[in-house]
Amino acid sequence: MDTPSLVALVAIGLVGIASVLIGTLGVRVARSTSDFLVASRTVGAVPNAAAISGEYLSAATFLGVAGIVLREGADGLWYPIAFCAGYLALLLLVAAPLRRSGAYTIPDFAEARLHARGLRRLCTGLVLLIGWLYLLPQLQGAGLALTTLTTLPGWVGVVGAGVLVILSVVGGGMRSITFVQAFQYWLKLTALTVPALIALALFLGSGRELDRPTAPVFAEETTVSVETPVRLEVAADTALRARGTVDGAAVDGPLVWAPGVHDVQAGTELRFAAGSGVPVPAGAPPTDREWLEPHSGGATLLEIYSIMIAGIAGTMGLPHVLVRFYTNPDGRAARRTTVVVLAMIGAVFALVSLLGLLSRAFTPELLVDGRTDGAVLLVPTAVLGDGWAGWLLGGLVSAGAAAAFLSTSSGLVVSLAGVLFTDVLSGRLRDFRIAAVLSAIVPVAPALLVGRMDFALTVPLVFAVAAATFCPLLVLGVWWRGLTPTGAVAGLLVGALLSCVGVASTLVGSVPEGAFGVLLLRPAAVAVPAAFLTMIVVSRLTKATVPADVDRTLLQLHAPERLGLSRERLDSQ
Amino acid sequence: MSVGDRYGPTVYERVQATPEFGDLRRRRRRFVFPMSALFLVWYLAYVLLASYAPEFMAIRVAGNVTLGLVIGLLQFVTTFVITTAYVRFADRKLDPAAAAIRQEIES
Repeated sequence: MDTPSLVALVAIGLVGIASVLIGTLGVRVARSTSDFLVASRTVGAVPNAAAISGEYLSAATFLGVAGIVLREGADGLWYPIAFCAGYLALLLLVAAPLRRSGAYTIPDFAEARLHARGLRRLCTGLVLLIGWLYLLPQLQGAGLALTTLTTLPGWVGVVGAGVLVILSVVGGGMRSITFVQAFQYWLKLTALTVPALIALALFLGSGRELDRPTAPVFAEETTVSVETPVRLEVAADTALRARGTVDGAAVDGPLVWAPGVHDVQAGTELRFAAGSGVPVPAGAPPTDREWLEPHSGGATLLEIYSIMIAGIAGTMGLPHVLVRFYTNPDGRAARRTTVVVLAMIGAVFALVSLLGLLSRAFTPELLVDGRTDGAVLLVPTAVLGDGWAGWLLGGLVSAGAAAAFLSTSSGLVVSLAGVLFTDVLSGRLRDFRIAAVLSAIVPVAPALLVGRMDFALTVPLVFAVAAATFCPLLVLGVWWRGLTPTGAVAGLLVGALLSCVGVASTLVGSVPEGAFGVLLLRPAAVAVPAAFLTMIVVSRLTKATVPADVDRTLLQLHAPERLGLSRERLDSQ
Repeated sequence: MSVGDRYGPTVYERVQATPEFGDLRRRRRRFVFPMSALFLVWYLAYVLLASYAPEFMAIRVAGNVTLGLVIGLLQFVTTFVITTAYVRFADRKLDPAAAAIRQEIES
């Protein structure tokens, strides 16, 4: 194995060891609300905010946002904006009332608010579904990082990541997890700031610019091996040498691509001369100028709206995000923390977006082989060259990617294990560790079996499932006294069904063109309103079953803590 | 789990009965819902502008920086501003009102 691979592996290993060490310094396993409450009393506001941000900023964010910006340009900024706005929606609409409800998982909340066992079971199933779906791209991201940085096969990354997560979760308590995640946030921020500043300085110093009416160009002669079939688009005549299958015909020698779309089969090798234009994935803006300008319309408008709705409404439904509010001593502290969190998340999103913009100048070849999600990882060597400086910077970025992966995945596994432990395994296996191992192992098999898809596709889809199910349940549960158990169940089922059709068709990989296809891949624009509507209409039809104590429950959710009405579960344990 | 069984119904009923509590609730609703609607409209309007007024969005402000890019970055800023506004509102208007109600009930 070559030196840069070793440097990257050592860096990833160090992050893993540091996380497990910080994690095991805590004694107790985080399995109950009281652990979160204990954490809330011993962890300061800034480490807590860093931990929340660390947990929210996943491998998909760390790697994916830059990849989206590299490919889509200004239109790619939608993703980070929607993910930030999701946090705001969570704060305005549900954070404080949920903090007061004393329920720390969504199944707890559903039962406390509507007193229905069936609803609770449905919520449990959905939490597991959403959590496991979200772990999929995280695990595959670890695999991608490993194949991008080293010569190891991707499955080593997926399996290794699963093992690391299990070790860090089984070893630690909530207090130590908080410190692990705070550490991981600062590591991620550093791992993005340093390469972003270096790349920016070099870019500004080189006199290059991104605002050209042409495609990006290869700085030197570049050979690209295409490993999965791609459709590429060029804006002007492009000369290249190819060996393999291009546009349905076997080729071995020089070619000139006319402007338009070209099909390249897997196993094809494309060689471009220095200064030649870079083809982009079909559908992405081919020239730099188009890439810099937001331009959408028709189906694209629908797609962007759907992504935004998924991001804004879906954040509150992610199992690991909500739980985090329990590490705040009260609603007031929760509000303060949120401001810090938004600043922290915003900083990271700004940095990854900047890296995505700069990667268009430094690593345009990623556009050709469909590995745009690897941009953040490859910018260091592209910027500093193949030497120790580049390798060390690459090591720092790989450490950041590993931290991003570990923080979100650990958070997800803790939340899933909590639900498995109380709702599924109760009475059978009284061991939280088994629940944690189970939570981490289940998604490994599909992560290995299903081909990797761009984060741009998978992440919004998981957000869409959360948005179409838990967002209506939480928002109506908190703000509308008319919600009934039957209404809630019906709405959850409709939302889950509509959004999961999208998940299934994405996994199978066959989606028709046009607005219908867009809605299959991006179901939120239809699924979220449909779920809200179903919940409201069915609740109206079953008016008689509104819980008798609804006024009291809502009063407790909405009366500020200073009224002394909220009840922490720790008190009753 | 039944919520709030530690405090008898009387405290709840007494709190609910106070006009101050109704006022508090109205005040919060009047902030939360218009604000949620406002930020949603602002985000969605940007996409509409980008789709149907591309010339407007492509106006160069300085060098490579287009108006679209500036408004895009402003979206991040808005998120932060709304959050700060909400926290200040809650600290100044909601918390003192709640404290006042509590004092009244306990005395």
